Amino acid sequence: MSELVLENLSKHFGDVRAIDGINLTVADGEFLTLLGPSGCGKSTTLFAIAGLDTPTGGIIRAGNNVFFDSTKGILVPPEKRNCGLVFQSYALWPHMTVEQNLAFPLKIRKVGGADRARRIAEALDLVEMAPYAKRYPHELSGGQQQRVALARTLVFEPTLLLLDEPLSNLDAKLRIRARNWLKELQQRLKITTIYVTHDQIEALAMSDRIAVMNKGEMVQLATPQEIYTRPAGAFVADFIGSSNFMKGKMARRDADGTAEVALEGGTMISAIWAPDVKPGSDVLVAVRPEHVRLAVARPANDDFNLLPGRITGRSYLGARYQYALDAGGTSIAAETEDAFDRPEVFATFDRAHAVVVLP
Amino acid sequence: MASIPITARARHGDGGLNRALAIQALIGGSALILVAAPLVPILYQSFVSRPLYEDGGILTLDNYVRLFGDSVFYSVISNSILLALATTLIACILGVAFAIFLERTNLPFRKTLRSIVLWPMYVSQLVIAFSWFVMYGPSGYVTLLTQQLFGDAPWNLYTIWGMAAVGGTGMAPLVYLFCASSAQRVDATLEDAGRTMGAGSLRVLWSISIPLMRPAIIYSALLTFIGSLEMLSVPLVFGRPVGIEFFTTYLYSHGLGGIEPDYGILGAAAAILLVIITVLLICQGMLLTKAGRFVTLKGKAQRQKLADLGAARWPVFLLFLLYNVVILAIPLAGIALRSVTTFLTPLMAPFDLLTWENFNLIFSYDAYVRSITNSLIISTVGGAIATVFIALITLVVHRSNFRFRRQLEFIALYPRAIPGIVAGIGLFWAMLIIPGIGWMHGTIWIMVLAFTMRSIPTAFGAISPALMQISEELDKSARSCGADWWTACRTIILPLLKPAIFSAYVLLFLSFLKEYSSAVFLFSPGNEIIGTTMLSFWANGDTGPVAALSVIQIALTVIFVFAARQLLRSHQNV
Ligand SMILES: Nc1ncnc2c1ncn2[C@@H]1O[C@H](COP(=O)(O)OP(=O)(O)O)[C@@H](O)[C@H]1O
Ligand SMILES: [Mg+2]
Repeated sequence: MSELVLENLSKHFGDVRAIDGINLTVADGEFLTLLGPSGCGKSTTLFAIAGLDTPTGGIIRAGNNVFFDSTKGILVPPEKRNCGLVFQSYALWPHMTVEQNLAFPLKIRKVGGADRARRIAEALDLVEMAPYAKRYPHELSGGQQQRVALARTLVFEPTLLLLDEPLSNLDAKLRIRARNWLKELQQRLKITTIYVTHDQIEALAMSDRIAVMNKGEMVQLATPQEIYTRPAGAFVADFIGSSNFMKGKMARRDADGTAEVALEGGTMISAIWAPDVKPGSDVLVAVRPEHVRLAVARPANDDFNLLPGRITGRSYLGARYQYALDAGGTSIAAETEDAFDRPEVFATFDRAHAVVVLP
Repeated sequence: MASIPITARARHGDGGLNRALAIQALIGGSALILVAAPLVPILYQSFVSRPLYEDGGILTLDNYVRLFGDSVFYSVISNSILLALATTLIACILGVAFAIFLERTNLPFRKTLRSIVLWPMYVSQLVIAFSWFVMYGPSGYVTLLTQQLFGDAPWNLYTIWGMAAVGGTGMAPLVYLFCASSAQRVDATLEDAGRTMGAGSLRVLWSISIPLMRPAIIYSALLTFIGSLEMLSVPLVFGRPVGIEFFTTYLYSHGLGGIEPDYGILGAAAAILLVIITVLLICQGMLLTKAGRFVTLKGKAQRQKLADLGAARWPVFLLFLLYNVVILAIPLAGIALRSVTTFLTPLMAPFDLLTWENFNLIFSYDAYVRSITNSLIISTVGGAIATVFIALITLVVHRSNFRFRRQLEFIALYPRAIPGIVAGIGLFWAMLIIPGIGWMHGTIWIMVLAFTMRSIPTAFGAISPALMQISEELDKSARSCGADWWTACRTIILPLLKPAIFSAYVLLFLSFLKEYSSAVFLFSPGNEIIGTTMLSFWANGDTGPVAALSVIQIALTVIFVFAARQLLRSHQNV
């Protein structure tokens, strides 16, 4: 019923293409995250859905309600979309108490007296803020303000919940707690949610699906596992946890997606997955630093990928070291707990951890 | 939780967009009409051959030809420009000196002096002119006393420089306000750099600090120049008696002096003044965008090094006191004394001449009392209406999707180019030709309209910065919670804007109380205000009642400022 569809959605500010042709369907009850670096157009997309920004082209539809259609000239104002938007800054009204903040959307919907009080109490209970009903926003901590902002949005039962980096103003510890709490709440309410963040860990931990955005375009839309293990391109591979990229040419690709790549130095690498491109095409093998193991002696068996290399640098990360290697002209980063006293090492990684992406 | 039925939303929903648009269009349209109302009749009149209310006029350039054929008009132009230059020079030298001494040196009691220096802004230009006349005019008390003691008084206010002194000292606070913020921002490290190279404090001030303030100086110089072109009171009191005519007095005497005013000439002269000031304002606007590049706002407020005045500290302080005594305390004391005496002369002790006659006169005639009550009603009620109206303009300009909001901002700022007397002539003519508004003639509402129009830029400038400080997310979140544009404005933005709206109201109350120049063409029995009654007494040579009215106006100002401060303080304590 409240499935959300974006068709070819664009928003241009003069020459700046803040969002450029986004196609996306969010299923009813789904938790979908828009993930991307700062300035990639996440907020613009969210604000366009809420009706606070007018897109330059495309269609926005929620169920059977068309919110925006550039060709038909349809533009529903924000107040008639029934979208609950939580801002990065929370945007609590400073001249109203917590209770009054929550009462506002209900008053507008002409929800009166006892019913209103009950709904406010319910919503505050939901976010565990009932004891703070009489406080003003400036008398609350950041985490509390965030919960009130959420309660103010939930209290009027929006058809869509839109969250713009709601946890980014919290400190690291609180953020992890709030993340779990928010996810749990969303599953309980089964409300269709679009969550915006630039934090990949947040996205991986909370989402049903993630839409990775770059420079106004959507570059991959998939489950967290798929995004992590089968990134659709170098950008995604690097943005979702950093990656090593090794240049090579596609040697062979099987129907199940496994592939062999010949690196520039001649070494053959087996990868678990590759996009369907012709043999001989330029590709990159992506592997994450934490998946690269180092060994002083050449390992006996070879059911994994192996590259001889030289350590060129080392930095201490607390629990582990990060090494920089030179493997036949390719630089590779590796993270491990071991200390090495000789520069000559062998770098190995499982084929399950090697993914081929297009440059 | 049960889902909220759609019908409940639909009730408030439909028509929401139309309501927003209707309100925005109403506000934008009213602003346009208000600003255009005086301009259109003037421009039209300047191009037709007959008075604009008569039929049968034809379009012609004849009015301009006749105006420029009149040799008097050339002296009007040159006098106006000379006076504006002289006034600007005096105001700028004083204002910049205030800024430097009060913001960049270790002058004693800076904080007190800073507020004293602004006092002339609270007093009507008309009162300032009258009070200078009473003390420093040709038969003024101080003038006569000086002549008695030294045989001669070395000043004559009936000259361009004399008038420039009255006007310039009155406008110096404005220059100071503009330069003060830029003097505060002068980066101390730049001055330190100068000092390490061996330059003395004053040398640093002269060669580093002042050039850094240049954009602010040029900007406020243009502002003063425009202000002096518009000035009516000083030329009226000191120029007209000796036949030195200026733009404003020319309009005044051609419009009110003769039996049958020459509408064409009046229209053409007013149009030319409008064009001159518009051009100056456009220059100022361009300078301002350029000046932005010079101004480097530092995020961190750094402690400033204050130049050490050394032994000159106390002498400079005394000089400041003396200055304020001469330009403000003595004239105001003089007018106060004049209000309770039959006349004022150094030959007789004022105590022998004490009388309540001047006040009695004012309080015994309805028309005079009415001018005071009218002024009060216009300031309190009219000021409130104007404040609300202008606050709404600010909302539409800064917080709406109104298609013409950029144009509305231009309209809101344009009245700076309309001198009071021109606004008065224009609105007077508008009442003659626009059907349905003739009833306003002789009511205080035409005054409220005129004063509101004139004060849009002031209040707009006072409210805008505060509005822009309120995060847009606050009203956006109200919108996504279901409020339409107007509800979001009314319940979220306006309550948060209250302090700024209150300050704007204080500003408008004071300027409505002081305003006179746009009223001289609009008043008739019934809607007199303090300023117009003062001018009528003045025209008859009755200085006593003028002094009494001046005292009343100052007293009202003081009471209001005091009350406003108390109110503000009690609110801040909550
Ligand atoms: N009002 C605007 N005018 C011009 N460019 C804008 C405006 N708002 C956003 N942008 C541009 O659009 C792009 C996307 O912005 P935004 O959606 O806020 O990014 P994100 O939320 O992903 O950090 C940015 O490059 C930004 O500079
Ligand atoms: Mg953003």
